[in-house]
Amino acid sequence: MNDNDLQRELVSLPIKYLHRFAKGRIHRHFRLGKRRLIDSILALPSDQKLAIAHDLEQLSSIPKKRATESSTAPRQTPLHPRPSSPKKPHPHKPTSPPIGLQDLLEGIGVPEPKPFVPDDWQRKAVEAIAHSDVIVSAPTGSGKTFVATEAIQQAMATNQTVIYTSPLKALSNTKYMEFSQYFGADQVGILTGDRRDNAQAPLLIMTTEILRNILYDATSGDLDLRLHTLGLVILDESQYLADPERGVVWEETLILCPTQTRLLLLSASIGNPQELAEWLISIRPTTSCHLIQHTKRSVPLRGLYLHPTGQLVPLLDSRDIQQQRKGYRFHPETKRLFSEYEFKPYH
Amino acid sequence: MPPAIHPIDLVDILRRHRLTPVIIFLTSRRGCDEAIDTFLHTSSGVSASRSEEIRAFLEQFAKDFPSIANHPLIPVVQDYGVAAHHAGHLPSWKIAIEELMRQGLLDAVFATTTLAAGVDFPARTVVVSQSSVRKSQDFTDLTVSEIQQLAGRGGRRGKDFVGFVVVTPSPYIDLHVLGKGLTGQPESIDSQFVVSYPMVLNLLKAHSLDQIEGLLAKSFAQFQLNQRAAIHQNRLDELHEQLQPYGPRECADWVAQWKVFDLARRRKAHRRPAINTDSPYLTACLPFLTPGRLIGLPKGPAIILRHYRSRGMGIPMLSVLHAKGTLGECQAQRVAQIYDQVYEFQPIRSLPWCSPSTLNQFKNVLSQLPARLPILPILENTREPDDSLLSEILTDEFACPTCPSHAACKKDFSVASGLQLKAQQVTKTIQALRDGLWHQFQQKAAVLHKFGYLTARLELTDEGEWARLIRINHSLLITELIRMDAFSGMAPELLAGVMASIAHDDDRPSSYMRLTPGLASMLVQVRQVADALSAYEPAPLLRSDVAAIAERWIGQTQHGWSSLVRSTSMAEGDVYRLLARTLEFLSQVYGLKVTHSGLADAAHQAMVNMRREVLAELP
Ligand SMILES: Nc1ncnc2c1ncn2[C@@H]1O[C@H](COP(=O)(O)OP(=O)(O)OP(=O)(O)O)[C@@H](O)[C@H]1O
Ligand SMILES: [Mg+2]
Repeated sequence: MNDNDLQRELVSLPIKYLHRFAKGRIHRHFRLGKRRLIDSILALPSDQKLAIAHDLEQLSSIPKKRATESSTAPRQTPLHPRPSSPKKPHPHKPTSPPIGLQDLLEGIGVPEPKPFVPDDWQRKAVEAIAHSDVIVSAPTGSGKTFVATEAIQQAMATNQTVIYTSPLKALSNTKYMEFSQYFGADQVGILTGDRRDNAQAPLLIMTTEILRNILYDATSGDLDLRLHTLGLVILDESQYLADPERGVVWEETLILCPTQTRLLLLSASIGNPQELAEWLISIRPTTSCHLIQHTKRSVPLRGLYLHPTGQLVPLLDSRDIQQQRKGYRFHPETKRLFSEYEFKPYH
Repeated sequence: MPPAIHPIDLVDILRRHRLTPVIIFLTSRRGCDEAIDTFLHTSSGVSASRSEEIRAFLEQFAKDFPSIANHPLIPVVQDYGVAAHHAGHLPSWKIAIEELMRQGLLDAVFATTTLAAGVDFPARTVVVSQSSVRKSQDFTDLTVSEIQQLAGRGGRRGKDFVGFVVVTPSPYIDLHVLGKGLTGQPESIDSQFVVSYPMVLNLLKAHSLDQIEGLLAKSFAQFQLNQRAAIHQNRLDELHEQLQPYGPRECADWVAQWKVFDLARRRKAHRRPAINTDSPYLTACLPFLTPGRLIGLPKGPAIILRHYRSRGMGIPMLSVLHAKGTLGECQAQRVAQIYDQVYEFQPIRSLPWCSPSTLNQFKNVLSQLPARLPILPILENTREPDDSLLSEILTDEFACPTCPSHAACKKDFSVASGLQLKAQQVTKTIQALRDGLWHQFQQKAAVLHKFGYLTARLELTDEGEWARLIRINHSLLITELIRMDAFSGMAPELLAGVMASIAHDDDRPSSYMRLTPGLASMLVQVRQVADALSAYEPAPLLRSDVAAIAERWIGQTQHGWSSLVRSTSMAEGDVYRLLARTLEFLSQVYGLKVTHSGLADAAHQAMVNMRREVLAELP
């Protein structure tokens, strides 16, 4: 393959592959746009180019396979396969005209103020927490805090102590202000490493590390922070369980939590909430555990592509962005403009 | 990497299409600050009334949080309705921006992707201009969860009928990562459980060994390990089935017998290979370092293509395919990580040790590895290597040459021994998966015993009784320093300086800062101790510049926050986080007041001096 052929091949490829070829060969390749990347590749010594040409041939011989592989990523919970839904026809017929920008920009605006009506999943979660542990897995901004406040209210009404933990001090502070306003300042306390404000209040806010320490101290008989009345522990942002450094603290906390205390785990959308629920059931045999999984966004989300020239086009070939088991497709205009950009990022 | 479109044009276009307020995610803090700067002296300001509302809000807010009163970004925020929000800012500033956004007074906020989860900080639109983030030295693709957390901020409940995510390109963007992220299933979460020293001490304080084994078995880690073990168990059952036809013959374990016989024959012909001096750990690893195994080398992941022993020394060696796509040789000892992943292939006996198509397939595999891979725990064998057994047998007479099964054994040996080897491997894997955590606990407990925190019967010693109260990173270093009286009689500001250098784990470029001689010599001593302990606990960075910042803040209370921030090139937010974290470490030392009253007093004094101005604004 001569340089011209190589160049033609490279131009036709998504930039991702060019970066892959450049990795370890071209210094700071990730800073280059497509055109400069191709130039740098062509300037490589010939044995390197030969190797790349060989990789290229491999690539072009299996394009089909690659596409299907990436769109059907295997789920990691082999023990609990999802019931496979009946095969639906592909949602986008290739013949239908692509969606237009006007469709996408339709309906922008502010809704009339409405009285607060909890969603179904919120009500279910609140009902369940009265008698069992609950895991809520719902998208960002969908209203998990409402579940927390209702659960706190319930518990406080029966004179139980509640501990609310978050992974971050910043978040603890925000919640402290929010809850103080909602429940009254005398009802809420906050504990940090060096400070205890209103530590005898029925609702205590702290980071998960502090709760873990309290639980250790309690098991060794050092300290009693009204733990015998501890009725509810809320772990916000529970997806931190997977944090490489701090995730272990969530596990310690859950393992050491008193059996009479109910757990409310609030988490952003995760792939295996079912597995988490099964685990909790297995280690807390006397309590049941409800999984409330909510995947639908409360406000529909739409995708746009903004070209550096200022042109605005639809991102995908469907209007709303939704979880798609069958993969997604970019809008033809986005594809065209983006490939233009990839080739000339600095026009 | 900034987006290819100019920030002012970007905001203008979004304003025109009624797509504001918007959060614009950029990779770097500097990118955010520069974007804000471009708004200065332009005409695209907000209306006078909105400007006034913002001013009034900030003025009111500064009553509770005086640290923002003279913030340099206030004019831009007021005049143009745009702001930056990233970890370089003080928490008070971030809270102010979040509140302004909630009240709908801002049009655009430039933020880094580190914008904390859980903060109620939505907008009508989010702009994404990148598909990867810098993590330690390299760029890593954003995960599906991360993309959905970013995009999830688009569309405010109760304030928007619809939300938008706008993708605008920057030089290093992969549209498909974003496409998949927006429409795909978020990743499963995996346990990151590790046994730490404080965990061991605290568990032993209150529980018997049996109970602890039970508690560890309750971890999510063990729950997931058990699932993996179950998969291996199925594989083992299959292997046993395949081994059925190769059951007992003239001798019960004919495979082992034939192996020894075969070896004896060969040894007669050749010189005896060098004695095996592999470490017990390496010996335990070797059975897993077989062709097709995915491993981690210091340079990155690789797939093993063949294993052999070096000619001269008999050192175990591997031929591997590196992630870069190059072939290489390396000592088995250099393997840093063995992953629970084997790719079956047909080895061949000459370079490149496999077929070209396999090679390509492997290259592909390596270029698309997920960020986190399941690690195979390795249990060291306490049993003697069977070398002595071997030499004993070698002196015996063999029945094999005249045995009626001779021909059958000769024919079946390679298949049967292959299957047996695999079965052994799988058995060991299952055992390691089931016992790994308990093993980790025992190893950590052994170290604590060695240092005198635990008795031989794993009860807490007097030292252990107080050491368990230090429940932070680098706990072993801190407790060892306390035991060797390194802190005795130390001034509060020196103590704070040392704690800061231990607490600060960020390797952002360091700043210039003068060290006092006392602190400098103290840090040398701490570094020596940390290095001596590095086999048991990774040493902290021990940056002297951050130590100096803490020393100055605690020691020179006549100087205020702005003077401190001026004296370093570190961002305000970073200085704040450094001191807040130091405060946490100090408070743990303060917790030792019963056993170490002098030290606890110094820590307390440091904490009191710490809590002023910005550091006193929030609990
Ligand atoms: N049923 C509802 N109807 C209308 N608005 C709601 C409802 N539930 C919650 N909200 C509003 O949605 C917004 C986001 O809620 P919240 O902060 O609880 O989200 P979250 O699920 O905790 O998100 P995150 O994952 O970011 O923590 C809040 O302003 C809240 O008032
Ligand atoms: Mg929340």
